[in-house]
Formats: sequence, structure tokens, C-alpha cells
Amino acid sequence: MNLFALSFALETGGQIALAALLGVAGFFLLLPNPRGRFVGPGIALLLSSLAIFGAWLYGHFGNPLPDIIGTILFALFSAGALGFGTVLVVQKNPARGAIAFAFVILSTCGLFLLLAAPFLMAATVIIYAGAIIVTFLFVLMLSHAEGPSDENDRSREPLSGAFAGFAFVGLVLFTLHQTSQAATPSHLLAPVLTAEERKALGEIAAKLEEAEKQLDGDTSTHTASDERVKAFEVAFAPIKYDLYGVVGTSDKDKLAAVRLGSLPTRLEKTAKSGTDSAVLFREDQQARDVLRRAEIVREQTAQLNKNVSRIFQREKPDVDSAKAEVRKLRDEVVLLRGAGDLPASNVRGLGFVLYSEHLLAIELAGTLLLVAVIGAVAITHRKGVAK
Amino acid sequence: MITLWHFLAVAAALFGIGLVGFLTRRNLITMFLCAEMMLQGVAINFVAFARFHGNLQGQVFVLFILAVAACEAGVALALFISLYRRRRSLDVTDWQELRETGVPATFDAEPLDRPVVEPEPTLTPAGARPLPPLDAEVPASV
Repeated sequence: MNLFALSFALETGGQIALAALLGVAGFFLLLPNPRGRFVGPGIALLLSSLAIFGAWLYGHFGNPLPDIIGTILFALFSAGALGFGTVLVVQKNPARGAIAFAFVILSTCGLFLLLAAPFLMAATVIIYAGAIIVTFLFVLMLSHAEGPSDENDRSREPLSGAFAGFAFVGLVLFTLHQTSQAATPSHLLAPVLTAEERKALGEIAAKLEEAEKQLDGDTSTHTASDERVKAFEVAFAPIKYDLYGVVGTSDKDKLAAVRLGSLPTRLEKTAKSGTDSAVLFREDQQARDVLRRAEIVREQTAQLNKNVSRIFQREKPDVDSAKAEVRKLRDEVVLLRGAGDLPASNVRGLGFVLYSEHLLAIELAGTLLLVAVIGAVAITHRKGVAK
Repeated sequence: MITLWHFLAVAAALFGIGLVGFLTRRNLITMFLCAEMMLQGVAINFVAFARFHGNLQGQVFVLFILAVAACEAGVALALFISLYRRRRSLDVTDWQELRETGVPATFDAEPLDRPVVEPEPTLTPAGARPLPPLDAEVPASV
């Protein structure tokens, strides 16, 4: 075994173990105890544990790519989930615990949004809003508010319990570390089009509308028609260059300066080193769709000049059909601009998958809900004490 | 850039915190909420894998987790009610006779400093018992 790798693993193991031990000590001090608990030191220990955990996460998996907003949101949501989860565990009052649980759910929903699952986010909020309100009602009904009680102010084996939980987390994290050493790059699929490409495509669509206006005007004589075509070609040339910058040149119209646009370079080429995020897209259906659309745009761009001049060489040039050609390209550009956004078709895709591949499972889940309702009624029903 | 591992690590930590709460707390409702929190950790795992593979199977699985969690909540709360009716308490240790044979019973050695509750004032019964009013309808059997 490589000695360097061993020391790396030891360092990771040390970090994880330290974070886990600090977490155990913090939970031990904070969990309800009839002898009283040490809130300040406990919180300090838990915060240092969280800091070490975050530092380990950033140091080993963090990638200094400029996704600052995503990183900040991720840090906020995950810290919120873990922090409010801790409050739920150590809080004596179950009503406050329910409030903390609501915040855990909201933070988790933020993470769902970051993972491009807006439907799940909405469903979780709706379902757990009901669940938390019901829990509240139960606390109000069943909890005796006066004074300390056995169930709220005692913990069962706080030290061994905390140790068991954190030993589990530490082992999972260490396994994650070991697996990540061997794995291929694990970047989540990015949105297929970058923000710059989207912006460029939007500008190109606007410019195409401008260029289309060059076709208006006098087309009665051949010289006038030729002038129109010339004017259009002059207006179209820079647009074409910009467009090739995004979608790449086709074989029919070679421009040496921009042989490959940014889209095919990112999506089709396999990256040399393992850390490059340009790989991965071969299995991605959305990326393939985007590439197909880019191909269409490329073909139409190459043929547009030819088509327009052919229309204008006729006896009676039909300006409207020439403009329709331009507009076709413009529509394709707009379609390409809107394609491949991950959350865009989330609900549609989810519905399709649910009702095509998992139909039986849906029926079973519905049956399970029915059985649960009957069971709940059967458990709580008392004969003869209806009053 | 956030990778898959970040989400997996946070989900594991959330699961672990929920596990600690489930193992150590004694209030039935708090234990139930901790179990739900562990389910949330698992759900983050599934959604992260779905995002990583670029398909929707993981999200579908989380939907089923939601359905099962709803069933679990309904049955669990019904059980809490019927348990509460028998012992008038939400403490799980009240039900420790269900434990495995050979495991020592939990014994709460340290006393809780319960606050001294002033008993509600009551009047001492004094004097003769008041007679029923004369015009009251007296049952025939008396």
C-alpha cells in the first residue's frame, strides 16, 4: 500500500474521529439529565464538531470551482438541518422539538431544491406541514405542562446512545472517503447550457430579428433584390460567427477561427484528467437532446444564406417566405436556449415515470395508506365509551 | 462546486443525529420526530443519487418514502393514544416489561426536583348535612 495514501487515510480518520468524539461529548452534556446539563460547553463542543466536519468536507470533496451561490446555499441549508436536528434531539419541551423539526424539514426542502427536485420540495412541505400540526395537537393533548417529568427530563443512556449514533456516522463518513478515492469524478450533472451560452443565444435571437428587417423593401428589379440580399448577408455574418461560437461549425461551412463552439466542446469531448467536469454527459438524456438541437441550428445556419438568395433570385421574390426562413432559425435558437434545464420538466418527467414504470407500486402505496387508516381507527377505537 | 459526496455526508450526519435522539430520548413524540428525521436523511441520499445519475428513479422512491412515512405517522400516533390511555404518560420506560429477558430493568436513581405544587384550597365540611327541600319529589321506595 502506498505510504502516502495511508497517511492521507489516517489524517481523514483522525479528523472524522475527532468530530465524532466532540459530537458525542456535546450531546452527552446537552441531553436532558435530572442532575442538570451544561448548555454552554455542550454547544461549544457541538459547534467545534460541526466546524471540523465542515472543514473535512471542504478539504476532501470541496472543489474551488466558481459556484459560490450554490456553495453558500448548500452550507446554509445543511447547517440549518443539522443544527435544528440537534435542537430537536436535546430539547426538553416536545412542542419546541416539533418547531425545530419543522425547520429541519424546511432546510431539507432547500437541499431538495438545490438537487433540482422542486416537486418533492413542495410535496414534502405540504405533507409535513400536516404532520407537524398533528404532532403539535398530540403534544397539547397528552403532555403535562407542569414541572419536570420522567419522559422529558431523563435520557436513556445518554453516553452510549450518543456514542452509538456518532460511531455510525463516523464509519459512514470514512467509507464515503474510501469510496471517493476510487471513484470517477462525482460532479452532479450541471444544467446543460451555461449562463453565458444562454445569454449569447438570447442576444443572437434578438439580432436575427434585426437582420430579418433588412429583407424588407423594394424588390421589383434584380439589382434591388441583390441589394437586399447583400444587406442581409452583411447583417447576418457577425450573427453567424456568434452562433458558431456556441454550437460549432458544420462541415459545409468551415470557419477556421471557431471550428468548435462551446457546446460541443463541453459536451462531446471526453476530458483528459479525472477532475475535469466536462465528462459525464454521454449518459445524460438532456445533454443528448441539447446536442441534437444544436446540430439542427448548425445546419440551418449553414443553409440560410443559400436559401434566402435562392428565394430572391426568382422572378417575383417572395419576401415573406424569405423572412420565414430567418424566423425558423430564430425559433430554433430560442428553443435551444430554453432546452436542457434540469428542473424545467421535473413534474412532467416524474408523472411519466410514476405512471409508466411504477404503476403497481403506486397502487400498492394507495392500498397501504388505506390499510393504515383502517389500522389507526381500529387501534384507537374503544367499544362502549363513545360518550 | 457541490459534489455528490457533500450531500451524502450531510445526509449521514442527519441520520446519525436522528439515531442519537431515537436511542436516548424517552418521550414517544420526540422519538417519533427523530425517526422522521432519519427518514429525511435517507431521502436526501436518494434525491442526490437521482441528480447524480440524471434520472428520476430516486425521486420516485422518495415519493414512496413520503407515502410510507404518512402511514407510519398515522399508525404511530394511534398507538400513542392507546398507550397513553393505559398509563397516562408518554414515557417509553413505562413499558419496559416488554424488554428482552435477562436485560436489567431501567431504574431512575436520581430524583427529579419536582416543584412543590400548592394544593388547591378546599373548604372543610362543617355543620349538619343540609336536608333536601320539602317540596322535592321523593321517590316512592324511600
